[in-house]
Amino acid sequence: MIIRMRAFAQFKELIGNDLQVEIREGADVMVLLRQLAGNNPKVQEAFFDPSGDLKEYVILMVNRKRIQRDQAEGVTLHEGDEVAVFPPVAGG
Amino acid sequence: MVVIITQEDFDPGTINASIRPEMGGIVTFLGVVRDDGIAEIELEAYEEVALQELQAIREDAIGKFSLLSVDIIHRIGLLHIGDHILLIVVGAGHRQQAFMGCEYILERIKMTVPIWKKETLPGGTRWVRGEY
Repeated sequence: MIIRMRAFAQFKELIGNDLQVEIREGADVMVLLRQLAGNNPKVQEAFFDPSGDLKEYVILMVNRKRIQRDQAEGVTLHEGDEVAVFPPVAGG
Repeated sequence: MVVIITQEDFDPGTINASIRPEMGGIVTFLGVVRDDGIAEIELEAYEEVALQELQAIREDAIGKFSLLSVDIIHRIGLLHIGDHILLIVVGAGHRQQAFMGCEYILERIKMTVPIWKKETLPGGTRWVRGEY
């Protein structure tokens, strides 16, 4: 199935701003992130700490709603879902 | 009343709270690009979510502080020293509500609206660190 992946700020520079990612049916958010990191050591380092957990500054949204890092394993994705990953915001 | 994210500059003088008989004070906050030794700054947003979040902050502030009007304009794109970044115009029955409401909106924007800043310095670029 195809997922729309959005990334911003430092993460955009690593994986692009708006891409279509093919993942297996039934995959969750963590599967998607690990797949992205699997092909790129810089992405792996940006997203994950050495023990394989998501770094605490990684913010996630699914279909424009925030999910907590500990929900990344368990939030199942569906065809056409939009997943966003970004660092802490700094507007204003 | 407006809530806008735009690449275009704005004239702060043209965005005034519509004065109503029960309004006793209007507080305006204008954020501009400070010279921290930078050449320029680029702002980017997750626009769909940022706009939705600005609208939610506006509604929340109106309820919390009994505000009578709130306008918010946030710029994105490439900006230079002195350029306008953010305009918040708050109208309320009394000055305390207007000041507190304006500050509340500003702090919420800094904490939750998905906008990021990348500074260009003589030696390269850096992303402004957000709080988490």
